[in-house]
Amino acid sequence: MAAGALHRSIRTIQLHGGSNDSASTKEFGNSSLKFISKGFAVDVKFLSNRSRSFSHCKMHVIRAISSHASVVDPIWSTSHVTTNFNQNTSIESSLILIRHGESMWNEKNLFTGSVDVPLTKRGIEEAIEAGERISSIPVNMIYTSALIRAQMTAMLAMTQHRQKKIPIIMHDESIQAKEWSQIFSEETIQQSIPVITAWQLNERMYGKLQGLNKEETVVKYGKEKVHEWRRSFDSPPPNGESLEMCSQRAVAYFKENIEPQLQNGRNIMVAAHGNSLRSIIMYLEKLTSLEVTNLELSTGVPLLYIYKHGEFLKRGSPVGPTEYGVYAYTRNLALYRQKLDEMVQ
Amino acid sequence: MATAVFHQALGTAQSHQHLQNSGSHLEFGNASLKLISKGFKVDIGLSRRGSYSSWKKKFGVIQASASQTSVVQPVSYPPNNSSDELRKKSCEAALILIRHGESLWNEKNLFTGCVDVPLTKKGVEEAIEAGKRISNIPVDMIYTSALIRAQMTAMLAMTQHRRKKVPIILHNENEQAREWSQIFSEDTKKQSIPVVTASQLNERMYGELQGLNKQETADRFGKEKVHEWRRSYDIPPPNGESLEMCAERAVAYFKDHIEPQLHSGKNVMIAAHGNSLRSIIMYLDKLTSQEVINLELSTGIPMLYILKGGKFIRRGSPAGPTEAGVYAYTRSLALYRQKLDDMLR
Repeated sequence: MAAGALHRSIRTIQLHGGSNDSASTKEFGNSSLKFISKGFAVDVKFLSNRSRSFSHCKMHVIRAISSHASVVDPIWSTSHVTTNFNQNTSIESSLILIRHGESMWNEKNLFTGSVDVPLTKRGIEEAIEAGERISSIPVNMIYTSALIRAQMTAMLAMTQHRQKKIPIIMHDESIQAKEWSQIFSEETIQQSIPVITAWQLNERMYGKLQGLNKEETVVKYGKEKVHEWRRSFDSPPPNGESLEMCSQRAVAYFKENIEPQLQNGRNIMVAAHGNSLRSIIMYLEKLTSLEVTNLELSTGVPLLYIYKHGEFLKRGSPVGPTEYGVYAYTRNLALYRQKLDEMVQ
Repeated sequence: MATAVFHQALGTAQSHQHLQNSGSHLEFGNASLKLISKGFKVDIGLSRRGSYSSWKKKFGVIQASASQTSVVQPVSYPPNNSSDELRKKSCEAALILIRHGESLWNEKNLFTGCVDVPLTKKGVEEAIEAGKRISNIPVDMIYTSALIRAQMTAMLAMTQHRRKKVPIILHNENEQAREWSQIFSEDTKKQSIPVVTASQLNERMYGELQGLNKQETADRFGKEKVHEWRRSYDIPPPNGESLEMCAERAVAYFKDHIEPQLHSGKNVMIAAHGNSLRSIIMYLDKLTSQEVINLELSTGIPMLYILKGGKFIRRGSPAGPTEAGVYAYTRSLALYRQKLDDMLR
């Protein structure tokens, strides 16, 4: 398997590289290893590095040969290769963002906002597709909005996941809800992935435009006004939220609730909406308000970020099962994937 | 199409009888028409009626030649009305009950109860199948439990519905939720099917057995005790509900909220769970506690009841698209179906 081959190759390189306990930088000449396995090409390049001091070998992770923004970053590797995922020396966690697919009002070209409209058949397929793409990426917790289209997207995606843990939606709207949803087996709890629903991850609330047809809105309010509401950063539709307002509550929620989980090494999936996710991406990638208004997120194509040392690294999009491209696995992800392969014999 | 032929047959039968404007009752001799179209058999029996005074003509409704309880009902037939008005005047409302399909804990053989576990791939398929079976039956309102597996079942089923109205989940948890989910177009509202979620329709709460493996529970508590909890009427598992307790809250909710809708002529779909639905069926069919504990509901196979004249009449299960079987349409339902055919031509 490619991951296994990669694993071995990393080891090989380590032996050749020699570990150095001094604080000097190490330089590697350019060398390139190509592994081809079932159309999955891994291009491993070792580049010379800027001045940085550390005591371990450095390797650059697989560089993605896809059209996504490829990121080359150093991964700290110890001189012992372990298959232990709880590496406290380099806490790394994955963050998957999934935007739900087509809803029944998308199909009818109506402004949806926070109205709770379900998915179409196509939206269901998109969710399952998305699930196939992330089926090898670890997920310890799931956050969704309070709207069914995001929740369904998450649950449908997880039916495709290769590891066998089970998403369980948490209920704490009342004491009875909490009591009634209690689980009485430790083992079962360990095999569960908590799912938390939060209105703060809802789609931007569109006020008086909710339910209106896009054409009739233009007729009613004028083309420029509507364009402004849709595409500006801080101009809200009547009684609605601007993108700025949506960002405020979405990013605040992310920082208070989701980021601490990532800091603890938990792998998180967030299933939400175009605007709430853009807001979060604005925070992750430190975009300007202009950049974020131009940011378009594909539906059904999940985005992966790696959280490491307090920073978010964009890893692009996991490839679909029929795609040849290269996906920017980190070492930990590659190891996780290998574990899954071994497990599901 | 069978329904068109049926319609014509009625027309023919009409012209053979004469209208009477007096207050006496009409009697029809036994006449039987057999229409066969694409394996869809419609058996129309026109039989004698007891004393019943009306100035309108009366017809016996289609008698199903299936193994389900066939019911012959008089339906008053004012000539030039649309099917909507027809339904109101004869105050007939359809009630669909759908039990959700396989959940991820069913698959693992764990006691689920009120733990919020989602559907498996198979459960998703079952929901879609169920949707195909009811795709021609009118739905004006949907009630589900507070658990995702029932909600998803409803939403997945409705992606198959031919009427193309859009289910919208109502949010009443607080003021903001209500405000945020407002719709500002009358047209859009008319094309919406409100979806009400209610914890009273939840599965029976299984207390300290929730999350336990069925085998380990038998080991821990003893086989007879477990059998008693699972199959008795009034013995609850520790900290859980008995079937009787579940029935109390489910039927109370049905009587307070759902029945009034049916009485006002609204067609309702309920997507819920084995025990909450059995409880409702116990009420609809006036079963004894002995009968209800032996009642098994298939998953993915919706059940249809008609409320008419204050009574619930069981109409069995709509046939799947590949089944040649006969389905006990009432006249109103047949007309509705025809309308759909015309609309989607």
